[in-house]
Amino acid sequence: MATPEPELVERCRRGDDTAFRELVDQYKGLVFGLIARSVPNKARAEEVAQDVFLKVHRGLPYFRGESKLSTWIYRIVINALSQERPELATASLDEVVDGQDRTRLQPAADDRALGDLLMKDRLQKAIEALPVQYQVLINGHYMKGMRYEELATALDMPMGTVKTHLHRAKRRLRLLLETEYR
Amino acid sequence: MRCDELEPLIEAIADGSHEPSPDDRVHMTSCAVCSARFEHAQRVEQWLAAREVPQPPATFTASVMSRIGQEKWQAERAVDLGFNLAVAAGVLVIFLGGFGLAWSLGFFTITVDVTALWEAAFSQVEGRVISEVQTVVIGAVLLTMALGFWWWAEAAAD
Repeated sequence: MATPEPELVERCRRGDDTAFRELVDQYKGLVFGLIARSVPNKARAEEVAQDVFLKVHRGLPYFRGESKLSTWIYRIVINALSQERPELATASLDEVVDGQDRTRLQPAADDRALGDLLMKDRLQKAIEALPVQYQVLINGHYMKGMRYEELATALDMPMGTVKTHLHRAKRRLRLLLETEYR
Repeated sequence: MRCDELEPLIEAIADGSHEPSPDDRVHMTSCAVCSARFEHAQRVEQWLAAREVPQPPATFTASVMSRIGQEKWQAERAVDLGFNLAVAAGVLVIFLGGFGLAWSLGFFTITVDVTALWEAAFSQVEGRVISEVQTVVIGAVLLTMALGFWWWAEAAAD
């Protein structure tokens, strides 16, 4: 049975390595999953995920428990990914993707015939081309671990904005798949 | 016109968070472009939902704990180094203080018998020596306490 979060945090603060090991076991799936979906090199993804837990370890004494631990960890993941992909960290989320200034191809019927592997590859590349916040929104939401509320808190956005951004992210993804990653 | 109005809503319709109006439905079934977009959006939705979640390697937790252990060790090493330097500086200060005291008392310029020197020193500048000795004694006590604390900290860490 998992230790309640406040108790786990308190034990970690007191330097209890067993408690921190439990914390890592509890969150490694979420952290590694989010990072590995944005960082294609698995070895690098593991390194970045480990760095996140080192930051958690260093930061726990200053964690005041005003937000959920998962939310705080999620923010650290976003920062780590932003450092990893700085060119995508500053990309505007409000940027309007206008398909008229590029040759947007209509989805072709023969797309259905593409193999799963090719499709996964295209999807992965298109996701990696999204701004970091869009990446974590999509990756977090579709990992079934992050609810809209948690995403909203982690990204410091109202829940309605999270939904809007998620739709924009998917729209941009669709346009990328229709054009550059076709 | 309706294509442009519908296009930004395609994702919300595809994931079920937006209910299209009856007119939108009619348009989406009759317009090849919107129909294809909607179909594509639905497939993106399905692909996203079907993506495998990457699993961390079995050694992940152990690797994290090992790196934390290394960080702790490096931090303790830095504290140890700082403490050792502080102790060395303390010893140096005490030594220099003693040397200065001896120098001020003229110990280094007297070449006569040491016994006679001590007698002369104590008899002539007794007040000064006592006050300076107190300083040296306080320094020695502090040094002893520091060494004792160091020993205790090392024993506690082990």
